[in-house]
Amino acid sequence: MIETINNFVSRFETSISLDENSLLKKQNRLFLVDENLKRLASKDFFYAGTCLGKTEDGEFFPSFSLLRMIAERKANKVVVDEKTEWLFICGRDIFKQGVIRLQGSRRKGDYTLVLNRRRECLGFGKILFDLSGEREGAVISNIFDLGDFLRRER
Amino acid sequence: MMPGREFFTRRYETMGWNYKNVEPRQAIRVNLINTGKATDIVRRLLSLGIQLEKIPFLENGYWICKSKFSVGSTTEYLLGLYSIQEAAAQIPATLFAETEDKTVLDACAAPGGKTVQLADLMQNTGAIVALDVKRQRLVALSNQLERCCVKNAVVYLLDARNASRLNLGFDYALLDMPCSGNFTMDKNWFNRRTIEDVERNAALQREILTEAVKVVRDGGEIVYSTCSLEPEEDEFNIDWAVRNLGLSVEEVNCYGQEGLTEVFDKRLDNSIKNCRRIWPRQTQGFFVCKLRRSRTND
Repeated sequence: MIETINNFVSRFETSISLDENSLLKKQNRLFLVDENLKRLASKDFFYAGTCLGKTEDGEFFPSFSLLRMIAERKANKVVVDEKTEWLFICGRDIFKQGVIRLQGSRRKGDYTLVLNRRRECLGFGKILFDLSGEREGAVISNIFDLGDFLRRER
Repeated sequence: MMPGREFFTRRYETMGWNYKNVEPRQAIRVNLINTGKATDIVRRLLSLGIQLEKIPFLENGYWICKSKFSVGSTTEYLLGLYSIQEAAAQIPATLFAETEDKTVLDACAAPGGKTVQLADLMQNTGAIVALDVKRQRLVALSNQLERCCVKNAVVYLLDARNASRLNLGFDYALLDMPCSGNFTMDKNWFNRRTIEDVERNAALQREILTEAVKVVRDGGEIVYSTCSLEPEEDEFNIDWAVRNLGLSVEEVNCYGQEGLTEVFDKRLDNSIKNCRRIWPRQTQGFFVCKLRRSRTND
């Protein structure tokens, strides 16, 4: 379980430290729990502690809680302006002119967290073109954004 | 006038309230665990053109005075900095004594507004065991927990009437009961509801209360709430619990009128006045009380 998460986190050029004993798996979802919650979570639980994400067809999909944990570390991040923040939450890709600040990788194909000006994590995306160069149009594709909380219950 | 409306509004008059059609104001509750200070989020929302007014009887509750767009679609909402929660519904979770490091049962938890509020009051310490009987509602509950960064909850698909199957003991239980609701939240309420529905719900609530007494530790607290105005689901049930379950009704310091001790020619235990009945005005109709399990119950 830890390996799946570590592999995902490493795509942001960082790492997090998780104790295998603090993880619970329920079907395809992974949860981080403390000792007290672990005692209370019998095998039939539906949700416990902090959901870290889920696996589907062998692919790992993070939760926002995991993205927030990554955002607390030195990792690939872009900070976007207010207009871009709103468009990103609506599921749109990010244009170069909406990026205010960059931290970590600028390489095509790498993952990067997307933060607003308050450094709050809005989601993550994949770098489409080298961010060092001049480029018109979308440079980071939207993979997962906060607006998912609204879309998933429709 | 529909016969249902006439039947129910006459009952309200007998209880001392003249029916008025009211629209409860939309309210939010600031999640302090994610924001630090309520004033920060108030300022942030104001900068977006959302005007708030502090709800005088709540610590972290605000009414929405003016907003150009839905308060359920802002970045701040999606980040869990606040929850949309009706004002009266913000009262029950605040009635417990010290909440940090406690083990709390949230017996009818979905969609999770009060679960998130409990976690906020507990500062993510201790544990909340949240139950609901419908899987689809648990999905909504889980989404709320994730959005609001709740870390101290375990959720089960379980009927509250079977809570003892978990073999756990609790310091507190929050029983926000499935109920008949009231006309302020449902425009067709009077056409939909009959006294038989009310009595059926009241019986279900007594079953849940009975189960809660089994799992709450000696001296533990039970907060009981409904959004029903019907005494069968409110004062009558609490009177029954005092007489049959060895529960006592604690005094509370919160918004609302005293519970009724004489209703439809029935004389109830005097301690029922410690309950709080909220007739619809700026809030929806609501009923809440805090019960204590006696130390001699088994």
